Amino acid sequence: MSAEDSNPAATPTPCVDTQGDGRWMSLHNHFVSNSKDKEPDVLFVGDSLVQLLHQFEVWRELFSPLHALNFGVGGDATQHVLWRLSNGELAHISPKVVVLWVGTNNHGHTAEQTCGGIMAIVQLIKDKLPNAQTVILGLLPRGKMPNPLRDRNARVNKLVQEAVSSLPHASLLNHCYHQMSLIVAFVCLAPLEFD
Amino acid sequence: MDIAITLCVNVYCVVSDRMSGDEMNPAAVAQAVVDVQGDDRWMSQHTRFVLECKDAEPEVLFIGDSMVQLMQQYEVREHGHLCVLLCLLCCWVRHPKSPAADPRTIVTRGRECTDVPYKRAISVDHASCQFNLHFKVWRELFSPLHALNFGIGGDTTCNVLWRLQNGELDNIWPKVAVVWVGTNNYEHSAEQVAGGIFAIAQLLTSRLPKTKVVVLGLLARGERPNPLREKNAAVNGLLRSLLPQLGQAQFLDVGEGFVHSDGTISTRDMFDFLHLTSAGYRAIAKPLSDLLLQILEETPEERRASLV
Repeated sequence: MSAEDSNPAATPTPCVDTQGDGRWMSLHNHFVSNSKDKEPDVLFVGDSLVQLLHQFEVWRELFSPLHALNFGVGGDATQHVLWRLSNGELAHISPKVVVLWVGTNNHGHTAEQTCGGIMAIVQLIKDKLPNAQTVILGLLPRGKMPNPLRDRNARVNKLVQEAVSSLPHASLLNHCYHQMSLIVAFVCLAPLEFD
Repeated sequence: MDIAITLCVNVYCVVSDRMSGDEMNPAAVAQAVVDVQGDDRWMSQHTRFVLECKDAEPEVLFIGDSMVQLMQQYEVREHGHLCVLLCLLCCWVRHPKSPAADPRTIVTRGRECTDVPYKRAISVDHASCQFNLHFKVWRELFSPLHALNFGIGGDTTCNVLWRLQNGELDNIWPKVAVVWVGTNNYEHSAEQVAGGIFAIAQLLTSRLPKTKVVVLGLLARGERPNPLREKNAAVNGLLRSLLPQLGQAQFLDVGEGFVHSDGTISTRDMFDFLHLTSAGYRAIAKPLSDLLLQILEETPEERRASLV
């Protein structure tokens, strides 16, 4: 049994239609066919935080000009994103950057398992898009007051930070503004590789 | 004849809150959401709404599920840490050309924006849709009416009933209450859902006898025809006959135009085939806003009295 099989967060799993209108699969098919005639430089993939980004004005202002595609699906956990990317959503595109934001919906999974799911996605992207950089967005705090999910999300971020530290093709961008130093580092180190 | 009898029986069962066999309609039973995720957000939102009631003097109250909640969300212009992400992305892709260069080019190059004229009263030309930064539905149409938004994503009729019975109607006397809920009642039949919505309307008219109640019809959902569309349509049909029995309540169907001639719903109107986009909200806002203004203008005496 491989490591992925023992981690449910890292096992590609489609969403089962429990509601009755097949929306998850409709969206996945929509993304696959969408990708056939587009040439995005940036791909956003993840859960509702990605999906809703597409609905706000800020998408048109900041990200549309970069030729960005949005493959966010509300409610998705890492195993769902893994399934989608393994089943066609990366088949027809070669973005330079993939922005990955997922993990807050991994209810029932430990922080370690969730990190494993995120890193499995990073590996999949590397396999399918060898020249792409992956930017992982840190999980945000949630809930009005301190609560176990905040602790878990923070721990996921810490584990992911450690995991990507040795990877040239992936990085973590946390919501902490102190990460500006990370930005400066990338500006200096990788300016000319993606013309 | 059979259909007429069935409808009468259904309506009777719904009005009496009893299903056959005298059980309570489960969709009309007040129920709080249990925190299974671990951050207690539903209760936090409910508590915040109860607090809002203490100071607010709304003329319009919106209550329901995510369809209500999202109506207020599309105007946030928080860029914050996204600008940091943008800097990063700019380093890795070719430098974006100025968006002011050619609006029409952006419309086609970006490929993400809505480039189809809207079917409804508000028409937006292709180029200006990029830069007018959207008709601000809540701020322009509903904020001026001193509206409160008590929508919570995922709520069923049971959850809304619980919230209304546990503080969200305290100390407010809105002239109109807009109710939009029912699409999340997955465990219930169309008759039960209609009964749950009717129970909410009954609660509002009994707690606030001077308040008019507007119940919005459930929208179609899913990319293609499916059982939930039929169920939502059946709920709407039942509500049309039921609500007039409550003198202060009325039904408003805002769903026209979302289902195209080939039976599909577009992501331009519902980004996930359920939740409305900014364009989708624009389409429903006009008939709703017109009705609200009409109702508010019908009660001039009270308004003048309150100003004196």
